[in-house]
Amino acid sequence: MPAAPFDYHAPATLADALALLGRLGDDAKVLAGGQSLVPLLTLRLVRPAAVVDIHGLDELRGVRRDGATLEIGALVRHRALEQGEGALASCPLLPEAAALIGNVRVRTMGTIGGSLAHADPAAELPAVVRVLDGVLIARGPEGERAIPASEFFTGLLSTSLRPGELLAAVRLPLPAGRAGYAVEEFTRRAGDFAVVAALAAVELDGAGRTARVRVAIAGAGPVPVRLAAIERALTGIEPAEPAVRAVVRDLRLEVEPDDDVHASADYRRHLTRVLTVRAVVRAAARAPEGAGAWPS
Amino acid sequence: MAELTISFTLNGERREVRTAAHQTLLALLRDELGAIEVKDGCGEGVCGTCTVLLDGEPVSACLLLAARAAGREVTTVRGLAPVGTLHPLQEAFVAHGAAQCGFCTPGMILTAYAFLRNHRRPARDDIRRAISGNLCRCTGYAKIVDAIEAAAAEAAPASPAAGRG
Amino acid sequence: MAKRPAAVLPAAALRVVGRPIPRHDARDKVQAATLYAADWQMPGMLHGAVLRSVYPSALIRRLDTSRAAALPGVAAVLTARDVPNNTLWTDVPGQTSAVGALRARIQVLADHVVRFQGEPIALVAAETPEAAQQALEAIEVEYEPQPGVFDPEAALHPGAAQVHEEGNLLARWHVERGDAAAALATADVVVEGTYRCQFIDHAYLEPEAGVAWIDADGVVTIRVATQVIEHFRDVADVLGVAHNRVRVIGTYVGGGFGGKEDVTVEVFLGLLASRTRRPVRMVWSRQESLLARPKRHPFLLRYKTGASRDGTLTAQSVELLADSGAYAFLSALVLMYATVTAAGPYRMPNASIDARVVYTNNPPTSAMRGFGAMQMVLGYESQMDRLARRLEMDPVAIRARNALRKGDRLPVGQELETHVAVAEAAARAWAALGPRRAPSAPHRRIGRGLACNIQSYGRIVWLHDWASAWVGFEMDGTVVVRTGVPDVGGGQASSLCQIAAEVLGVEPDGVAVHIGDSALTPLAGTTTATRQLYMSGNAVLQAAAGLRAQLLPVAAQMLETPADRVTLRDGGAADAAGRRAAWPAILRECARLGVPRSFLGVYHAPAGDPIDLDRGGGRIFPDYTFGAHAVEVEVDTETGAVTVVRHVACHDVGRAINPQSVEGQIQGGAVMGLGYGLMEEVLLDRGVNLSTNFAGYLIPTALDVPDVEALLIESGEGKGPYGARGIGEPPIGPPAAAIANAVEDAVGVRITELPITPERVARALGLLSAG
Repeated sequence: MPAAPFDYHAPATLADALALLGRLGDDAKVLAGGQSLVPLLTLRLVRPAAVVDIHGLDELRGVRRDGATLEIGALVRHRALEQGEGALASCPLLPEAAALIGNVRVRTMGTIGGSLAHADPAAELPAVVRVLDGVLIARGPEGERAIPASEFFTGLLSTSLRPGELLAAVRLPLPAGRAGYAVEEFTRRAGDFAVVAALAAVELDGAGRTARVRVAIAGAGPVPVRLAAIERALTGIEPAEPAVRAVVRDLRLEVEPDDDVHASADYRRHLTRVLTVRAVVRAAARAPEGAGAWPS
Repeated sequence: MAELTISFTLNGERREVRTAAHQTLLALLRDELGAIEVKDGCGEGVCGTCTVLLDGEPVSACLLLAARAAGREVTTVRGLAPVGTLHPLQEAFVAHGAAQCGFCTPGMILTAYAFLRNHRRPARDDIRRAISGNLCRCTGYAKIVDAIEAAAAEAAPASPAAGRG
Repeated sequence: MAKRPAAVLPAAALRVVGRPIPRHDARDKVQAATLYAADWQMPGMLHGAVLRSVYPSALIRRLDTSRAAALPGVAAVLTARDVPNNTLWTDVPGQTSAVGALRARIQVLADHVVRFQGEPIALVAAETPEAAQQALEAIEVEYEPQPGVFDPEAALHPGAAQVHEEGNLLARWHVERGDAAAALATADVVVEGTYRCQFIDHAYLEPEAGVAWIDADGVVTIRVATQVIEHFRDVADVLGVAHNRVRVIGTYVGGGFGGKEDVTVEVFLGLLASRTRRPVRMVWSRQESLLARPKRHPFLLRYKTGASRDGTLTAQSVELLADSGAYAFLSALVLMYATVTAAGPYRMPNASIDARVVYTNNPPTSAMRGFGAMQMVLGYESQMDRLARRLEMDPVAIRARNALRKGDRLPVGQELETHVAVAEAAARAWAALGPRRAPSAPHRRIGRGLACNIQSYGRIVWLHDWASAWVGFEMDGTVVVRTGVPDVGGGQASSLCQIAAEVLGVEPDGVAVHIGDSALTPLAGTTTATRQLYMSGNAVLQAAAGLRAQLLPVAAQMLETPADRVTLRDGGAADAAGRRAAWPAILRECARLGVPRSFLGVYHAPAGDPIDLDRGGGRIFPDYTFGAHAVEVEVDTETGAVTVVRHVACHDVGRAINPQSVEGQIQGGAVMGLGYGLMEEVLLDRGVNLSTNFAGYLIPTALDVPDVEALLIESGEGKGPYGARGIGEPPIGPPAAAIANAVEDAVGVRITELPITPERVARALGLLSAG
């Protein structure tokens, strides 16, 4: 259907964009890649008075590696993450996760900032940021705010971005040492949103035992969830499949999925366990060879 | 502004048009520029029938505001070869029976075109992955994969013709 | 009665028929030169839209269109009172026999009651799509929601909400042969099973669309994506105008599959064009199409199958319950097709099939590829598989033992007059699977499944089906075919090209085909029921043969040789010595002699009288297509995900007019069947449709299905031209059942409800428990 008419703005600088958003208030929607917003517009589900198109903000396109931190501008596209060129190569979890996003057209246009700000619980990138303990950089009328991933996703399609704030970048810490990463995603069809996805980051010590294990789950609740108890129980072990399986089987899961048309809560919980085991085992197996590892 | 003037290149020809801000590139192409080769199958970016190349990369025209085409190169299936001639990919689709109802065909060919530019001898599974965002309800995909595989084996695809009269 | 057309030549003698040549419409389609229904524009064109009910069951207390009509750019707002005759009949399109429960009605626009979510209430026409949308939003409707009924079993209980005055039971068919109850009581082994299959959507890539205008002669002209151009009669009846004042032009359709068989936009466009006297275009969104278009009939199937210890079937007792949704449309017919085939392609000395279809407040259900017969395959092939396991018999062997053969009778009493290839198809498909592959990971299991099917082609014989085609030469020797066939992508028009070219000795690209115009092309009936090749193919064959018979004597005279020594080839006629006369010269001679250069062929399908189904009445369909699919699946024993890694589909096509086209139909139908078996479902919550976007209604992508290997049996005994059988519907039947059988083979659980989702498999494997 045709969208309801709106005023279109395409600011050239971040300062202009923030000023505009401040002025327009609740009546404005931010347009990045458009893959989430435009369907809402053309289905007439949202009818903003104004759309602020931020694709001209080149300052949000940068990718920088600063020692142990990788900073990715909000307008970096999924396709760039998938291709993993330049500094993006230092985070192998990104290409693996980005390759799972939608179809080739979604990846051409969609942006990391758009995905994170939209905060779909079944999306891959929010879970990436969660598992890597990323920090979201917001820019607003009061300046810059650094929001830990654990505080950024507040509910279904909700973030802690304040009115008038734009997500400008995400910073991902790059650990030293032997680390491996893996994404295990379950979908009904190629390219769909995850029913459930498990993302694992595993660091090994010199003896091949787990020094740090991080697991984030997408699709099993309104926000991506870290499985803290499982992470603790998986630390300090030899990460062979039977041992990992035993831990994951026996512990209470920290996810609270709902029943919905795509899957029941029971099934999502079951998938969480299955995919967590697979992701942890695969991530651990990648660590020693350096595949999936951070370059030191 | 609620309306704006944009200029962009459509299949090698420069166009300057006035568009409502809320109009999608799909609506602009179909309703005002007569580019009905771009189809409207779902409006959600899922089916792939509205695929166009934006600066050579496949995008869903139904998910692009027309304003975003400003200064860019838009290519539809009619931009792949001069009028009356067929690009080797199109020839392959004809020869292999890859078009039944034909509704998915323009988007499918553009997607394959963009893919083959970067992949010289793809395996069938790679081809399937490349077209997994373009739905077909008639063929079961096998002959589409046959056609793309054959086109890849023939030669590297030529670049789209520019400035057709 | 009609003679079978002559010219059934042995395969070696055919020059064009049987060649896998590219279709004539393919070149246009790859260049997007084909103008689909939504691609058509007319000067001054308005945009039409439909207001639809938001409730599945409600009274309309108030309907106020005044605000909408007053909006700028709005040319018309119509409600029920603006419709001259507000009833649309489904009377088996194009035919004239009244057959009781097969007559069905629905109002064009709801007046005071709505019975399904999405039921049309009002129409608007406006200068722009935006204005039309705004007008829809400005129409004020006050609904009073009513109780509804949403489950077919519940609909049969006394006290259930009545969807229509005449009660919820729409139709019932019964077929009986021998004494099934007694045979079951004494059988060595009895297998019982209950199966359920789901609502699905056609999900063609082209949403419904059309443009209508009043032409210079005042004829309401509708250019529409349709499988049935004969709907001009329905439009005329609703408008209250003469039938010869409405014309339907059928476009090349972007997928039909039965969803463009009932009226879609035609009547709405006729009303709006008539009211505004301007061209009007109506294009439905995908979401609207998913919401409101009729779906495939879900079925509850209860089977009891009896056999002796050696695997010989002795009895099949079947109870069927289908959901018609809120309106009848073609439900009674669909139920009939199901009833006739429910016993399966097997010799069945005792059979009892009891079938009912009921109204509910769910979306209406109507025609979809397979038309009731395809849903039965899950029932009868799951039963065969379970029986084989009980008796420790090989899946091919048990089918070979019981397969129907030429000369056998179906439970309905019809004798099978042509070759029956069930056993052969089963054996070939199974053998073609090759060596069983190893699982790709430790937690995966491989399984194999086989499913055979029977699907009719051609329309029910007492409907006196016919099709006509005109074939003629232009003076320069090029050929024209005119016939009302709608082409929905299955190569309908192209096959006719090949047939005409074969008979007349010309090349296919020397034949121009004009199709699908109710005013200008001789009518050929619907593109449904896998009838088009059989019917219009035979009509073209007859016309071309008649034309040939007219022209041969003229050519013979010119060549001074007996007519039976003349061959038509190489741009004209030749004698045995190679002396030639070119077509232009022959045709000039025809003009001089007054010999017509064209022929109108009318093919009448062999007809029969209406039968009593339940008295073993006899002949119902002209013929059947038999086939078998074999699949190999890999099941993830942790997630329940099922992947089809190998799929072989074998059908007896009689003769493949165009083998490439036939393969394409088989591959496409098989994949549609895979979608049905694994992932497609229209989810409803008390009549509210939850599957109204393409992100949520899952059809297979290229990554979800393997290459389907199509194996063709050409028995040469089909009733179509050159011994062809219909192939449009048959391939959709077996896949779901084959997968269910393969899953049992892989992991030992029997899934009896479709789709076979990973969650269903996981649950069956006992993987799901709280926490």
